[in-house]
Amino acid sequence: MAQTIDKLGQIHIGKKGAAPIAAPGWTGKAADRVKLVDCDVHHNFHDPRQLLPYLPKFYQEHLLDQGLHLPGAGYANTPFRRTRPDIKDPALQERDFNFSLEFMQKELLNRWHIDFALLTGPPVFYAVAGLPDPDWAAALCTAFNDWTIEHWLDQDPRVLNAILVAPNDPVLAVKEIHRLAHRKDTAAVMMPMQTPDLFGKRRYHPIWEACAEHNLPVVSHIGGGSPGSTPTPVGFPSYYMENRMARPSVASAQAASLIVEGVFEKFPNFKFALIEVQQMWAVPLMWHMDADWKAIGDQTPWLKRLPSEYFREHIRIGSQPMHEPPQTEQVYQMLEMLHADETLIFCTDFPHFDWNDPVTVLPKLDERLHRRVFAENALELLRISDDMIEAVVA
Amino acid sequence: MTGIVVGKAADIPVGGRIIIVPFRGRAGIGIFNVKGRFYALRNICPHKRGPLCTGEVAGRSTTSAPPSLTEGYVGYEREGEIIRCPWHAWQFDIATGECLVDPAVRVKNYPIIVDGEDIIVDVDVRDFVADG
Repeated sequence: MAQTIDKLGQIHIGKKGAAPIAAPGWTGKAADRVKLVDCDVHHNFHDPRQLLPYLPKFYQEHLLDQGLHLPGAGYANTPFRRTRPDIKDPALQERDFNFSLEFMQKELLNRWHIDFALLTGPPVFYAVAGLPDPDWAAALCTAFNDWTIEHWLDQDPRVLNAILVAPNDPVLAVKEIHRLAHRKDTAAVMMPMQTPDLFGKRRYHPIWEACAEHNLPVVSHIGGGSPGSTPTPVGFPSYYMENRMARPSVASAQAASLIVEGVFEKFPNFKFALIEVQQMWAVPLMWHMDADWKAIGDQTPWLKRLPSEYFREHIRIGSQPMHEPPQTEQVYQMLEMLHADETLIFCTDFPHFDWNDPVTVLPKLDERLHRRVFAENALELLRISDDMIEAVVA
Repeated sequence: MTGIVVGKAADIPVGGRIIIVPFRGRAGIGIFNVKGRFYALRNICPHKRGPLCTGEVAGRSTTSAPPSLTEGYVGYEREGEIIRCPWHAWQFDIATGECLVDPAVRVKNYPIIVDGEDIIVDVDVRDFVADG
């Protein structure tokens, strides 16, 4: 096999570069349909002052005087400045190194043949979910959304937006959803997963109602947090790995809350995606909830169906970071138990160090399951119009 | 089938029950008086073989919609018609043996007649051989 050494001294075996020839299950033919939808692409500003033009004067002063003063999602000693070292300029010490549409087009969309990419914003910024000042939180979300519109949207039909809202004040969150719902590239509403309260609580229901009204799903990424809230139910981990291991418990709690408190009985067309929290927690959650519904469902008589039925119809799970069990066969067993043909949506988590590329994330799937996971589940989840699909497959 | 006199009607008041073991074996049957009518159920829960007929007799909650910001009403219905297994609390309709939480499941029930003072249950002896 051919070996080349590039100017950085790195050895490349076979074809040079990180580009795939074809992902498993790809036909390699010209795109006659959407084949690859990425539901988690982190775009970012390199300096909070980039938001200044999109803030009212009062909050411009706020930002210049005090900075973002975000509470943060707790102590998280993320390695590698979170970002893939192979694609960032080593001279820059920045996190979430995806600062421009051009960079994302080159390193993600073009290189990996992605048909649609959903912008999910910078995780550090997710702390707006826990800001005690609801007006500051809402002003930051609005500014970030408007900055995104000006610098990332309207230029490439592949780029979809998940508009950022802060759930702490549902009235202001609803206002922002109504403000941007008319945009064709608004494909979802982004809400950090570590919120001041569980998603099923009725204080949030007006947000879900607004989403349902506009046929928008929520795509909720791990992150956020309120001042004093801990990443695990038992306090602060010392190390980042522990922090990551706590994510499925957050996702489980939020999924159970949404189902048990009746959100999907109230809003039958509403869907909710949980991103970057692993996947397999959903299997025992479904099994355990079904068993409990039979035993103690009398406490929640508004649940007319097995909880797993609500899960499979309404909740979607991001594919990153994907489990890597010792035996490939176990991946197929996991996907079957997970009902991956209904629940799993492909996510890269670009540009982070722990991203998943579309080629190696899973072993070769049969064609139907491949299409469900890499495209169709996301196309059914996100609000994407037919003419937008035509624009990317043309 | 075998008709067995299980007791006197006057011994089981409305809302009451007796559990009898007519043959050797661990299960037996429960005889219930629900609002003046008598019913007989096998005392083995089809879920995990718990002693179903020793469970609480109750009703069940009911509502038309999840609680909202303005409304949180939960009602109660069928008081006295439902038995809840003491193991895992699955609910069964005493009159029909239907499981209310899983339509694929039911507990065996038996024809019952009241002849004068006697309650007679028509049982299948094979149901009471130890552990089937």
